[in-house]
Amino acid sequence: MASRTKQKEQARAQRLAEEQARQQRESRQRRVRLLGGVILAAVAVVAVAIAISASSGGGGTHGLQTGAKSTKLVSQVTSLLSGIPQSGATLGNPKAPVTMTYYGDLQCPVCQQFTLDGGFPQLVANDVHAGKVKVVYRAFETATQSPQTFSTQQVAALAAGKQNHFWDYVELFYRQQGAEGSGYVTDGYLNGLARQVPGLNLSAWSAARNDPALSSQIPSDNQAGRAAGVQGTPTLVFKGPKGQAVAPTGVPNYSDLQSAIKQVS
Amino acid sequence: MTAVSDATTRARTRALSTDRRLLIAVLVLCALGIGVAGYLTYVHYAGLKVLCLSSGGCETVQASRWAKLDGIPVSVLGLIGYIGILGSLAIRTELGRAAGFAIALIGFGFSMYLTYRELFTIKAICQWCVGSAVLMTLLAVVTAARFLRDDGLAE
Repeated sequence: MASRTKQKEQARAQRLAEEQARQQRESRQRRVRLLGGVILAAVAVVAVAIAISASSGGGGTHGLQTGAKSTKLVSQVTSLLSGIPQSGATLGNPKAPVTMTYYGDLQCPVCQQFTLDGGFPQLVANDVHAGKVKVVYRAFETATQSPQTFSTQQVAALAAGKQNHFWDYVELFYRQQGAEGSGYVTDGYLNGLARQVPGLNLSAWSAARNDPALSSQIPSDNQAGRAAGVQGTPTLVFKGPKGQAVAPTGVPNYSDLQSAIKQVS
Repeated sequence: MTAVSDATTRARTRALSTDRRLLIAVLVLCALGIGVAGYLTYVHYAGLKVLCLSSGGCETVQASRWAKLDGIPVSVLGLIGYIGILGSLAIRTELGRAAGFAIALIGFGFSMYLTYRELFTIKAICQWCVGSAVLMTLLAVVTAARFLRDDGLAE
């Protein structure tokens, strides 16, 4: 009798154990399926986010913007340059003790990166705005693959400079830089940028584009760059009461620029 | 039978204790994450300068175009992520744990991408962003452990 009861208990325990094992197995299988789903979903979401970020973030493949996007870019530039004097290719107080000469090419993607994402925005917002540093832009051909286009685009910016809007034009150019070597710099593109510059007299700008003094400025800038040992763009040469310093190549950050300023002032 | 039952109870108590520790870890990490992302969101909308140890690194990163995803500041997305993970704790089912792990995994993946951009594109480091990336990494590990260890603890 006792033996039958024991047998029954053992059988019950075995059934329970089997049931538990089955449940655990099913639960594990369900979780593995769920884990696969979670990982797949997460990878898909991250991939979409990266694609959005890459397409709206950088890479210099925007080209001329219109509508709300254009308005947004213009407002960014206006806000950055607001209250800072401009004269020709010079940004900042003409009496600033330190001068940063920026050798750049408007089609150069590294210049774009430095101007928009490197130390430049902060330099402008802090040191240039405070009148401690002025920036002078000098044309130095690197990325632009045609000397004719290089001259045309630079003269377009200098023509805006005749109305003290050089830096508005340059900032808008970099913000709407197209893909390198795609031939995006056309008259339509340059005119489109000019139309975006707030307060620019378009007919005076168009007339200034034919000014021989502006076109002769380009070879002179290139020559000055070679004499200064410029090999790539952007090259940033600081001059101040204590001499001269060159910021690290590539995309210098704000602390790199600060170090150079410290060395010369 | 009693021995089996005791062993099961002990195993369940141990599992509950570990699960409680993991839950506390998620809570602490989320609180820190909300602090970091909340601060960055606040300075963004208040137009203030970010407190930063490295000269200009944080501002350069914050001013870069990578600081926004389709116009939304990434700090806001981070804040939503941390709150989402915290909210998933209220769902006491396997699906709740999976949701918390999924959000943390997305946060981890996107944080890695942003850290890559900081190092190789912007070439500036924002400690707040690195801090958030570390928190998201830890959250991905802890929420994964909670999800994978779930031996019938979820309701």
